[in-house]
Amino acid sequence: MRGVFSKVPLYWGLAILLFMLMFPFVNDTRSTLILLTQIFIFAIFAMSFDILLGYTGIVSFGHCMFFGIGAYSTAIIFNKLDATMPNFLIGLLIGIFLSALVSYLIGLLSLRLKSHFYAMLTLAVSQLFLVLAEKWRGLTHGGDGFTFSVPDIFKDRTSFYYITLISMAIVFILLKLITELSTGRVLKAISQNEDRAEALGYKTLHYKLIASVTAGVAASFSGALYAISLRFINTNVFSIEVTLDALLMTMIGGLGTLAGAIAGAGIIEFLRHYLSELAMTYPIFERWTIILGILYIVVLLGFPSGLAGVIKRLTLRNGRKGRKNREAGRAA
Amino acid sequence: MSLLKLDNLETYLGQYHILQGVSMSVEKGSITVLFGRNGAGKTTTLRTIMGFNPATSGSIHYRDQKISGIATHLISRKGIGYVPENQGMFSALTVEETLNLARAKSSGETEEKMEWMMDLFPDLKKFWNKKSGLLSGGQKQMLAIARAYINGDGLLLIDEPSKGLSPIMVEKLMESILKMKEKTTILLVEQNFLMASEIGDYFYIMDDGKIVHDGWMQDLKEDKETCQKYLGIA
Amino acid sequence: MEVFINLLVNGVSTGLLIFLLAAGLTLIFGLMSVLNFAHGGLFVWGAFSGAWIFKETNSFFLAIAGAAAVGIVLGWVLERFLIRPVYGNHVRQLLITLGGMLVLSESIKILWGPNPIRVNLPGWLEGSYQFDGIIIIKYRLFVIAVGLLLYLALWLLLSRTQIGLMIRAGVLDKEMVQALGINVKGLFTFVFLLGAGLAAVGGALLAPYSGVVFAEMGMQYAILAFIVVIIGGMGSLQGSALASLIVGVAGAFMAYYMPDLSLALNMLLLAIVLLVKPTGLLGEKGGAI
Repeated sequence: MRGVFSKVPLYWGLAILLFMLMFPFVNDTRSTLILLTQIFIFAIFAMSFDILLGYTGIVSFGHCMFFGIGAYSTAIIFNKLDATMPNFLIGLLIGIFLSALVSYLIGLLSLRLKSHFYAMLTLAVSQLFLVLAEKWRGLTHGGDGFTFSVPDIFKDRTSFYYITLISMAIVFILLKLITELSTGRVLKAISQNEDRAEALGYKTLHYKLIASVTAGVAASFSGALYAISLRFINTNVFSIEVTLDALLMTMIGGLGTLAGAIAGAGIIEFLRHYLSELAMTYPIFERWTIILGILYIVVLLGFPSGLAGVIKRLTLRNGRKGRKNREAGRAA
Repeated sequence: MSLLKLDNLETYLGQYHILQGVSMSVEKGSITVLFGRNGAGKTTTLRTIMGFNPATSGSIHYRDQKISGIATHLISRKGIGYVPENQGMFSALTVEETLNLARAKSSGETEEKMEWMMDLFPDLKKFWNKKSGLLSGGQKQMLAIARAYINGDGLLLIDEPSKGLSPIMVEKLMESILKMKEKTTILLVEQNFLMASEIGDYFYIMDDGKIVHDGWMQDLKEDKETCQKYLGIA
Repeated sequence: MEVFINLLVNGVSTGLLIFLLAAGLTLIFGLMSVLNFAHGGLFVWGAFSGAWIFKETNSFFLAIAGAAAVGIVLGWVLERFLIRPVYGNHVRQLLITLGGMLVLSESIKILWGPNPIRVNLPGWLEGSYQFDGIIIIKYRLFVIAVGLLLYLALWLLLSRTQIGLMIRAGVLDKEMVQALGINVKGLFTFVFLLGAGLAAVGGALLAPYSGVVFAEMGMQYAILAFIVVIIGGMGSLQGSALASLIVGVAGAFMAYYMPDLSLALNMLLLAIVLLVKPTGLLGEKGGAI
């Protein structure tokens, strides 16, 4: 399912990055910058999920827990201590450490089981975190949530835009490196046929744990950025909708491509933004989640390899057509 | 006219090309034996006939009706009884329940077949209410054969019935299969040459997914060269 | 003593409601290895449609029958349009049923609004019985009676009828059942619709029990049912019944003594089962009943 994105030459990626770096000079309307910032944050989250589902074939229905852990760690530190950069780093590290620990423990407990068990167990554990966040009011203020202040550099929309953009680029490069290394090849082998990978002598549990912890850590990072972008947090970060976002973005963009996850995040966030604007005039669009849900099902049934697959098919067809034309030209 | 006719079957399991153009036919009233070493494609041939691993090309005809390309349960309803490798017991069901299940979608009259099986395998009557998972290996094999016979109508596919059984049990089982020839046609996959050569009428030998040899069983016994080459018998 | 009996009654009645949800899940899984994440959606649809029919007609019997019908129709749609197209692909099955869950619970919000809805008890089930100072709420006894009745019916269906025999055999060896001329896909559709109907009835019974229904409760109860199915052993009806009672009763006691930890307790039970005996209390090989 490795899509066309992985074959897009490096300079394409650089061109897009350059364009995005220039973008605030071209257009600095508040809402556009906020939208793009959200896209970058969710792109990190979607890429982390892609490591699990796309590269390793692990179905987790509780990915929101790492997003939430990262978000709450940062938010609580800022709330209890001062809004300074060192505190940001402390919060980030706590979130990353907790996510790594939780993903490792869950993985150890259940990654040797069948995929159904894992999907179910992760869903249940993530709901446990939701309940925890609701009940531990002293720390989280329950379902109402709380606001907090952040360092000035994060308050400025343009600088935060650059921070998230560069974060996304760095995460992309790091994850790409992991997947291109020998580890990545083992993960791919596991996703295609776990028994065979095991028979070839790979300790598949070990590699699945690596994937699981990597994904947890990256998701935690995106959660921290998300909390900062809102300067507010409530238990919604642990809701199943967050997990569904990750699923939707990776499925739409194309599994196992990383770049597909970024594209998927762009499409979904843009669609959400547009639909919620529509909802102001047409109240029916207030329930746009159902539209995303239907879209998700349609993609799963009709385009299992996502946007990346569609593009690949199109370019292949064009390539073939082009060749045919050339041959026809030669014949004439 | 042959009862079962396989024509140039090609079957893949995943990326592996298992059957590479298998053609054979089973004559009515005969016991036809399919020999071959492990991994030659014998089990896959039976599974392809049953529709579990459909062939990508080629055709299967039973009683001059095409049965390739249709669902397994419809193939079964045409009258083909199937005894899988390792017996395929419903371990939590009793002997009675197993045989009732065999009758549920059976073609034709089952009362008479049921009685005949009870005569042939009195043990089944004896352990009527026992869970089939608790039967001995030989009894499981008897139940599997009775189930297939009662369910089917005219043809039995039996996959390595002697596997894991004691020599005495194998002897008994072979006698029973020979007796069943009066009522039904049998396609038997077997590694146990001595046993199968005693009861078989016609044989095919498979190697690497192809039929490499076929003929009358009595000719095979004298054909030392073929025996040695494909069956490892001196 | 009074507290003990009350908690026991609460626990058993909740347990039986969870069982109605878990029964379909476990049989569907046993037969086809499909873990239906949309099952909770059928449950919540049962709750809302039951509550709505009850409000409109004032007949509780119609409400339950109507909820069952709604569950069966939705189950048919799910099976036909979501599950069958990805038959045999476990990962896509998991993914698509979760999407089905989302659409089912979101469509609830479109039809009935996003806010919780109050549900009243039917008049003849209001009030309570008193035995020696022990007060037992009528409706809870009713739920226990209906739950036991449905369990009995299900058990009879599986153990005494031909289709039940086919289902049990299918759980044990799907291929061999087909080789006997039985259409497993048809059998699966039957089981799926049966499970959908039971889940919807469970929802309809729960609505007056909890007094309020909301779209998210589908997922909440589905998670309980998942836990029950794993603890009981995938594919085993009796295992699910047993685990439902354990989870229901343990939950009732925890909710009374340590309310914040009840979900944590279930997770603990789950973790222990997964570590000690991943096939559950009455493992996969034991058969459907």
